[in-house]
Amino acid sequence: MFTKNHRRACLAATALAALTLAGCADGGGSDALQVSGSTTVAPVAADAAQDLKAKGLDITVATQGGSAGGISQLASGQINIAMSSKPLGKEDKAASPGTKFHSTQIGADAVGVIVTKRVADAGVKNLTAEQVRGLFEGKITNWSEVGGPNLKVFVYDKEPGRGTREVLDKYLYGDGKAPAPPKSGNFAVVGGNLETRNKLESTPGAVAPLSTSFVEGRKGLAAVNLDGIEPSPKNIASGKYPMARPLFFITDGEPDGASKKFIDYTLTAKGQALMTKHGYLTLKEIGK
Amino acid sequence: MTTKTLAPPSVPSGTGSRPRPSKWIWSWTWVGAFAVIALLLTVVGYLGAGVGSGHVGWADLLFESAWSPANSAYGGLAMIYGTAVVCVLALVIAVPVSWGAAVALTEYLPPRLARPLRLCVELLAAVPSIVYGLIGIMVVRPVIARIADVPGGDSLAAAGIVLAVMITPTVVAVSVDALTAVPDRVRETALSLGLTRQEMIRSAVLPLARSGMRAAVLLGLARALGEAIAVFLVVGRADGRMPTSFGEFVDSLSHPGQTLTTKLAGPEPVLAGTTGPYFAALCGLGLILLALVAAATIWGTRGRTRGATTKSAPRYRGSARMRLQRDRMVRTLRLGALLLPTALLVGMLALLVTRGSSAFNPSFWFTSATGAAGGGVRDQITGTVLLIAATGILALPLGFGAGVFIGVHASARTARVLQTLTIILGGVPTILLGLAGFVILSTTMGWGRSWLAGAIVLVPVVVPVIALTTAARVRSIPAELTESAMSLGLTRAQFIRSVVVPYTWPATITGLLLGLARAAGETAPLLFTATVFFGAPALPDGIVEAPVQALPTHIFTLSQDSGDPQAVTQAWGSAMVLVLITAVLLSAAVALRNRFEGERWTT
Repeated sequence: MFTKNHRRACLAATALAALTLAGCADGGGSDALQVSGSTTVAPVAADAAQDLKAKGLDITVATQGGSAGGISQLASGQINIAMSSKPLGKEDKAASPGTKFHSTQIGADAVGVIVTKRVADAGVKNLTAEQVRGLFEGKITNWSEVGGPNLKVFVYDKEPGRGTREVLDKYLYGDGKAPAPPKSGNFAVVGGNLETRNKLESTPGAVAPLSTSFVEGRKGLAAVNLDGIEPSPKNIASGKYPMARPLFFITDGEPDGASKKFIDYTLTAKGQALMTKHGYLTLKEIGK
Repeated sequence: MTTKTLAPPSVPSGTGSRPRPSKWIWSWTWVGAFAVIALLLTVVGYLGAGVGSGHVGWADLLFESAWSPANSAYGGLAMIYGTAVVCVLALVIAVPVSWGAAVALTEYLPPRLARPLRLCVELLAAVPSIVYGLIGIMVVRPVIARIADVPGGDSLAAAGIVLAVMITPTVVAVSVDALTAVPDRVRETALSLGLTRQEMIRSAVLPLARSGMRAAVLLGLARALGEAIAVFLVVGRADGRMPTSFGEFVDSLSHPGQTLTTKLAGPEPVLAGTTGPYFAALCGLGLILLALVAAATIWGTRGRTRGATTKSAPRYRGSARMRLQRDRMVRTLRLGALLLPTALLVGMLALLVTRGSSAFNPSFWFTSATGAAGGGVRDQITGTVLLIAATGILALPLGFGAGVFIGVHASARTARVLQTLTIILGGVPTILLGLAGFVILSTTMGWGRSWLAGAIVLVPVVVPVIALTTAARVRSIPAELTESAMSLGLTRAQFIRSVVVPYTWPATITGLLLGLARAAGETAPLLFTATVFFGAPALPDGIVEAPVQALPTHIFTLSQDSGDPQAVTQAWGSAMVLVLITAVLLSAAVALRNRFEGERWTT
């Protein structure tokens, strides 16, 4: 599922972008540095762009098409920098062989398997990959099966195309295909991180993949350890924790000129503070 | 706004001038009617091209419930089921309440109270749908969870209730319009015959207002079918759930499901690209949705011919027993029906005011944004106002023309066909408009991201609302008005210019406002065609590659993924600003309308 969906997404986005390019070839365009892609990275980029405005840099930030959309727009030359919350895949490179993609990591985001406090307190502190798979495939329907309270499991999965979901699928199935969602009545699909958190908090027995930074300081929720490994910055930095995703700015070739100024700024202490502000891990925290 | 050009303020008072020949009337109404057809053809053509780009298994799409693009399974039955359940539920809840509330507003409450309330109802229709969705999450889900004893409460029932709440203001507003168009002398005559208020309403007022009140329900249905974001947040979006027995059917109401619109408004149309079996299947779903709107409309308007015969020979015979008691009971029920919209209004305002308090700081309005979630939203406000104004200017003549055409010019059959087409246009999910606009305007015509492309994409949202409210009002023109005009020797063109247009335009303005209010909160089509999140100039300097920032897309992006608490504050503040802007627009136009309505025709 991961690869196929993924490839479709890229092909699709490329097609869209190619069409756009064909239409826009003589459309001119403003002088502003154009940044587009992932909604996850957009707030950080917008804040950085604001800080640089004072220095005379003109930057627009858009979010059409998510990470895959950004990458294909970059490949077709419509934008200068793509924001991505996933590493470049082989498919991306294959789809646009003429582009010399250059990724700069600006931070990371740890994805946790999040359960409600009641479930965690009753003993579900750790889950194996096998157990997580059972939960999300609808085979484990009561928390008592994994050492928790006698409470029905309610699964919230992320909608297709979300970076969080790709990370979970990769953890559970590697490069294999994820099965179709379970036909249970206790399964629903969610979108953005805020929506996910909101629904987790209001549903007893809920479980969902969610960025761990969204759980910090919330009384009703807890992130479980996976295969005994806690989602701490240290474990993420060492690569032990299995579900982390890097956040990137991607350029065509080495960044230069305004692009370089912009990306360099996000790597400074001030720029990195923006990562913390929006709930992500800085490069320092993950040891890079 | 743009209303002056279309509303000749002076009507010949009998001395001197006759109306001019006004031949241009014809081209205008024809253009309006053709615009509806052309817009619809564009959308259907886009979908048809999509379907043609890959092999679609229609049998699977219609009769299979499993949807899993990764496994090349494209079954739409569960979504069709979800759509049907959600819409029926919404109508069953909303229509009785709305009609009751509309009658209470026009027939029971003194004008002093009714006018501000009516304005409030129209204001409710202007609340961005994402706010309704958030209310659904906070209020409706827990109720369902408690009643049905299910965790969470994401369910078809929750979606139906949220939709009911959303379409109630639309149905009330258009019904009130139809009721106020009934001349007061009808009421006076009925009352002087000794009828109770309830009997008077039933036998004298409702028959005259019926076509308008039906149009209100159809508009509500079109909105329910086309609405995505609010349903999106509470329906659960789980694919492939299809009941096989009655027990399972009841059970499915309280469990997550999927509708056609939520599927189309999700990330999948973006992931599916522009060709191939995946995209073709999604386009097929779009066509199915349009077919459903068409079927519902044809079924809904079918009763009219029968209604027309009863109008000439009323069946209704009041029984002489317990008339006063019945009158009192009905009054209580109708006034009670008003409570729901009122409670809704109060709750919604309380929520917006507490969460969006930043909107009350003037600097929030007049400074531009700093970074992702700092500063004010000045540029977003100018962008939204620009988009609304451009959409209104484009849509008003088209919708007015189409409405007059449907109401006056066309034969009964053409009128019905056109009305059906108009409602289908109103039911087109806006994400499809956005994608079609992206392919046609931004790409093929090379506009890139352009404010004008955004305005054009929003036109099909507004035109049907204007056309339907106008047409309903035209139908309620008292026969003696038409007869006097004809007997004075007016041509049809002069009749339209001097009688129909002045009589109709208050309703047209209501339609325009309702339509613009809906357009103002639209997010999906703008994301593709017109807006960026950050960095656009306050006012665009051209058409090609001239993006703007807008409030709804700003709210949308902020409410997606940021962990910064300030982003949430800013999102609510922006929602409050959007509501306030619409409120100001509405109050101005409503004040204008109230001055003209009633003083000329209804005495």
